[in-house]
Amino acid sequence: MITVKNLSKIYGKKENTFTALNDVSFKIPEGATVAIVGKSGSGKSTLMHIMSGLDSPTRGTVEIDGNILSELKGKRMDRFRATSMSFIFQSFFVEPNQTSFQNVTLPLEIARVGRRARKSKALAALEAVGLSDKVDSKAANLSGGQKQRLAIARAIVNKPKLIFADEPTGNLDSSTGDKIIQLLFGLNKATGSTLIIVTHDHELAARCQIRINLKDGVISSMGGIKTVVPVAKKPVTKASPRKYI
Amino acid sequence: MYISDIIRRSGRSIRSAKIRTLLTAMAIAVGTFALSLTLAASNGAQEFVDQIISENFDPSELIVAADESIVGNADTSKPQEYDPSFGASASGAGAVIQVRRLTDEDINKIRDLESVESVREGIQLNIQYITREGQKKLVGTVAGFSPSQNPEALAGNLLRPPASQSILLPEGYLEPLGFTNPEDAVGQKVAIAVRKPVNTATLDPALIADIQADPSRLSQLSESNIVIEEFTIAAIFKKPTTSQPGTELYMYVNNDDARRLLNITTEGTAEFGKFLTVNAKIKNGENADTLKAAQADISELGYYSLSVEETQAFLNQAIGILQAVVATFGAIAVIASIFGIINTMYISVLQRTREIGLMKALGMRKLDIGRLFRLEAALIGLIGGLLGTGLSLIAGFVANPIIRNAIDYDGDLLRFEPLQVGALVIILIVVSILAGWLPSRKAAKLDPIEALRTE
Repeated sequence: MITVKNLSKIYGKKENTFTALNDVSFKIPEGATVAIVGKSGSGKSTLMHIMSGLDSPTRGTVEIDGNILSELKGKRMDRFRATSMSFIFQSFFVEPNQTSFQNVTLPLEIARVGRRARKSKALAALEAVGLSDKVDSKAANLSGGQKQRLAIARAIVNKPKLIFADEPTGNLDSSTGDKIIQLLFGLNKATGSTLIIVTHDHELAARCQIRINLKDGVISSMGGIKTVVPVAKKPVTKASPRKYI
Repeated sequence: MYISDIIRRSGRSIRSAKIRTLLTAMAIAVGTFALSLTLAASNGAQEFVDQIISENFDPSELIVAADESIVGNADTSKPQEYDPSFGASASGAGAVIQVRRLTDEDINKIRDLESVESVREGIQLNIQYITREGQKKLVGTVAGFSPSQNPEALAGNLLRPPASQSILLPEGYLEPLGFTNPEDAVGQKVAIAVRKPVNTATLDPALIADIQADPSRLSQLSESNIVIEEFTIAAIFKKPTTSQPGTELYMYVNNDDARRLLNITTEGTAEFGKFLTVNAKIKNGENADTLKAAQADISELGYYSLSVEETQAFLNQAIGILQAVVATFGAIAVIASIFGIINTMYISVLQRTREIGLMKALGMRKLDIGRLFRLEAALIGLIGGLLGTGLSLIAGFVANPIIRNAIDYDGDLLRFEPLQVGALVIILIVVSILAGWLPSRKAAKLDPIEALRTE
């Protein structure tokens, strides 16, 4: 359960202030798929940064499973991030010189997972995204869609409760992007983790259970949880996401 | 993150930038190479000096002089007042100094000391020539044989001291004196010629008049002053590789013979019976405290003494200065390479901004990110250190046989001590870590939002 309460973020001082977020409040139940939608400059990235604890709000609080982020400092914040959340980015941010396996184990290393557990978790995550045959391939040799799948494997490998995806399909063609979305939703169903997608793509947003539309730092509209979410009829890849539990 | 994981990630990062790493490491390697060779050369030189000292000097002996300038430092910045009793003056490094010498009276005073076992004048004299029947006349130096000298006999017997009227010849004189092998020479007679000084006081006035009339007679006169003594070759010895430089062709007789020959060459001159130094053997002089006490006794008599240890220290000081110069250049090279490391590390941080941002977003601690880059710097230092010391080992491996041949020394002049080499590499690693400090701090402080911003 994520509770965002009266969140405001103001950049600059005195005359030159810019309000990126203005009194934003909402709740997200566990396991939900959420789209934060808005044009560039609407405050959606700022909201994601604050919700993930990378940035601090000017006013208001973010509460994740009883932890108020602004109260977690230094080491405890790092530890919380290492065990509870992960990220997927538009530009993938996979290390081209490292193998798929090495890319995927990064969050496990950070979370101090033992070496043996690391291997089985990493292989399972790669299998879940259909990259079992690319374990030892360098990330540089993967296609764009494969890179994003690798990034997803990295995001799910430590079974975080919360996954932030920042324009996950932004750098992909529509059919590859579609597969990635189906994969993300499938994994969300299978693992029960909360998926928060930041996007300006309304089509993608429409497939999420909750839509938070931001305009000029304020929530302009919010779609409810009752919205029907299309679920992939067939498994996206040969390896069923369901295996990954 | 576990340290082992950080090390692996640092190693991976270095492998992904091989040329950059290698070039940076080369800069360190150059300094390390110089430092490692300096250390090796100083070890070798130290050992060489020690060996020279131990094979040529008796540690229970003191070198005693009447003048401080022989055993210590004399003030040569101002001219000294003339003193006829000093005998003669010597020129030391451009400045003329009067040197007070030891007379037989002085020597007896030293000999009478309770702590002194025996006194030996350290005699070396240039003879006119050495020859034997039907052979060339050869110039040379005859010296009193010191009991602590240890040359290897090729033939004959190295008595200590040599018997009266017998002589020990270095192998270098064999062929010029017409011998084909050392065994043939032993037992043969050689003639040693020394020249009496011309003493005008006792010269016949008529002869003086003759010489004035015909200057060419002067050479006849000096020729007529030559005294020839016959010596039997007692032994032929191999040139010791650790002999003091310049003494390779010294011939040795016992001290009494040497003294007699010296007296012939100095009789009637101011040099007669005067010695710059004598060697005093101290009772139980192997004991450092006894030696110190004896030095105090000698200094009480107004003489100056120098122990073998002090001589060694003096020589080592000279080596030390040389080392310091080379080591300074090596250290400067290392310091210069520090900037290379800092630069390389900043580039590395810059190139990996995204990765750092991602790692921070995923909850990697500042401390661990700092470590990641400090370790990368340490690895560069390690590579540079290993490269430099490795090259210096190869250089030593190549140079040692060449040096050995050149100076005919059976040891290694470049001696690598594993402990020193190890310490050097560790120091370089520490220096590299310090150099990586600022860049690693930049990495640790990186704002993940900035780092992860897409365009």
